[in-house]
Amino acid sequence: MSALLEVSGVSKAFGGVRAVDDASLSVEEGSITALIGPNGAGKSTLFNCISGFLRPDRGQIALAGRRIERLPPHAIVHAGLARTFQTARALTRLTVLDNVRLAAPSHPGECLRNLIARRGAVRRREAQVTEEAFRLLRLVRLEDYADALAGTLSGGQRKLLDLARILIASPRLILLDEPMAGVNPALREELLAHVLDLRATRGITFLVIEHDLAFVMRASDHVFVMAEGRVLTEGTPEEVRRDERVIDAYLGTDV
Amino acid sequence: MTVLSSGEFWAFVGVMAGIYTLFTLGLQIQFGLAGLLNFGQVAFMAVGAYTMAILVVKQGWSMWLAAPLGVAAAALAGLLVGLPALRLRGDYFAIVTIAFSEIVRWVATNEDGLTGGSQGTINLRGEGVAAQYNSQWERFQGWLGEQLGIRSKDVVMLLVVWSVALLLTWLAGRLARTPWGRVLRGIREDEDAVSSLGKPVFRYRLQALVLGAALAGLAGLFYAWQFSFFSPDDFQPLITFFGWMILILGGVGRMWAVPVGALLFGFLFAATRFFDFPPFSYLDSADRAYVRLLVIGLLIIGLVLVRPQGLLGRRQEMVLE
Ligand SMILES: Nc1ncnc2c1ncn2[C@@H]1O[C@H](COP(=O)(O)OP(=O)(O)OP(=O)(O)O)[C@@H](O)[C@H]1O
Ligand SMILES: [Mg+2]
Repeated sequence: MSALLEVSGVSKAFGGVRAVDDASLSVEEGSITALIGPNGAGKSTLFNCISGFLRPDRGQIALAGRRIERLPPHAIVHAGLARTFQTARALTRLTVLDNVRLAAPSHPGECLRNLIARRGAVRRREAQVTEEAFRLLRLVRLEDYADALAGTLSGGQRKLLDLARILIASPRLILLDEPMAGVNPALREELLAHVLDLRATRGITFLVIEHDLAFVMRASDHVFVMAEGRVLTEGTPEEVRRDERVIDAYLGTDV
Repeated sequence: MTVLSSGEFWAFVGVMAGIYTLFTLGLQIQFGLAGLLNFGQVAFMAVGAYTMAILVVKQGWSMWLAAPLGVAAAALAGLLVGLPALRLRGDYFAIVTIAFSEIVRWVATNEDGLTGGSQGTINLRGEGVAAQYNSQWERFQGWLGEQLGIRSKDVVMLLVVWSVALLLTWLAGRLARTPWGRVLRGIREDEDAVSSLGKPVFRYRLQALVLGAALAGLAGLFYAWQFSFFSPDDFQPLITFFGWMILILGGVGRMWAVPVGALLFGFLFAATRFFDFPPFSYLDSADRAYVRLLVIGLLIIGLVLVRPQGLLGRRQEMVLE
C-alpha cells in the first residue's frame, strides 16, 4: 500500500492561535484512517487546509503524489477528494434530489453556453445524473424524501444526504468530519456499514474525524491523535488506546 | 380624477411596470437565484442608457447598434465590479455595489463633456444645442403602430416593453430550472457546501451578476426611449430600492413574481398619486410626494406582515433553516 494523502509539516494560525502546528500525517490507499483529539485540537482546521478552504501558512499536502495545497476547493474535488462538514450542510431550499444532482461532476448543463449549444447532451446527462442520484438516495434510504426540501430532513438524515451527494462524484478519498455526531444509534450502525461497504466495493479511502471511539475502534485501520495543533502520536487503534500520552491528553481515563 | 380614466395614463403606468420588470428580473437572478445583495442595480441601468445615448449623439451611430452596445456596456460594468467585489463577503459586496452606483451617478453629473452633466442628455452636444438620441426609436414606434393599426404611441410602447419583459421572464424561469440554475440556487443556500461539491462558486456568481446587470442595462434603454431625455437624477439609489420592493412584494426566487410585483408596485405608486383629498390636500406637492412614499412603504409593510413570502413565494421556504 502507498500513501494516497500525504500531509507534511502543515501549520495554520488564526492571529495568535496556532490551530494547526507542524502537523504531518499520511493516509494509505484503501484504508479507513481516524483522526482523533480533544476539542480545539485543530482537526477541523486541518481538514479545511486539506480540502482547500484554508490556505496553510506552511507545509505541503499531496493527493496521489500531486500537490494540492494551493488549489481552490473545487479543483481539489476534481482531483478526487470529497469532504463533509462537522455540521451537515444540506442546501435547505433545494429538494433532496437536487442536493445530490447538483454534486454530479462534468455536467454540461452547468455551463450557460451548453444550455443553448448542446441541449441534447445536457438532457442526456441530466437523465443519467437523476438515475444515479436516485440510486444513491436508495442506498442511504432517503428515496422517499427525494422531492422534499432538504431543510425538512432531520440532522441525522442530513448527514446521510451529505454522504450520498459526495458519492455521486466517485471520489477516491473521502474526509468525514464527525459523521456520527448527532446521529441516533441505529443510523450510526448504518453509517458505519456504509463506510465499510464503500471501502470494500469501491475501494474508497476514508479519513475520519470522530469522537465516537466505538467507531474508531471498530472501523479504522490506523489512528492519528492530535492535540494542540500537533500530531501527538499514531498507530493501530489498539496501540493508540494503550498510549499513555493519548490517555493523558485526550481520553482522561482508560477506554 | 380625469387622469384616472385616461388610457394614456394607465399605458404610462404599464410601461413603467414593464421597465421595472426588466430591472428587477436582474435582481431576481442575482439575489433570488444566486443570493447576491446588489444595492447598486441602478448603476447598470445608467450605464446602458448613457452608452446608447452617447453613441447615438456623439458618434452618430445607428440606435440599433448603439442599443446592444448599451446592454453590453452594462454587462461589462457588472464584470468589472464583480471581479474584485465578489471576492468579498456578502455584506461587503452589498456596500461596494451602493458605492459603485453613487460613483456612476457622480461621474455622470460631473463629466459634462462625456454625459452632458447635471443637465442631462439634452446637453450632450454642449451648451446651446439640444441633443436628441431618440428619433430612430420614435420612427420605429410610428412604423410599428402603423403595422398594428394602433395610433397611440404609449400603447405601442406598452406592447413592445411587455413583449420583451414577458419573453425574458419566461427565459429566466427556464434558466432557473436548468442544472446551471440549480448550482446558483445551491450557492444561495451555502456557498462553501457548493464549492465542496466541486463547483467554481466565484464564476457562477460573476455570471449571475453580469446577466442581471445586462437586464438593468436593457431597462435603461427602455427608460431612455420612454422619456426621450434623462439626467443623472433619474438614477438615484431609490430606483434600486424600488426594484427590491418589487422583488419582496412579488416573492423572492420566482421569476414570474417579478412582473406581478412590478404591476402591483406600479399600481400602488399610481394610485397614491391622487391623494388630493384631506388631509393630503393640506400639504404642498413636494411634501405630498414624500407622503406618497410613506404610504407605499406602509402598504408594503402590511403586505409583508400578511404574506412574508410575497405574492407568489412559498411560505415553507421562509421557515427552513
Ligand atoms: N476561522 C477561525 N478563526 C479563528 N480561530 C479558529 C478558526 N477556526 C478554528 N479556530 C480555532 O482553532 C482551534 C482549532 O479548532 P478546530 O475547529 O480545528 O478544532 P477541532 O479539533 O475540530 O475541535 P472539535 O473536536 O471541537 O471540532 C480552536 O482553538 C479554534 O477556536
Ligand atoms: Mg472539529
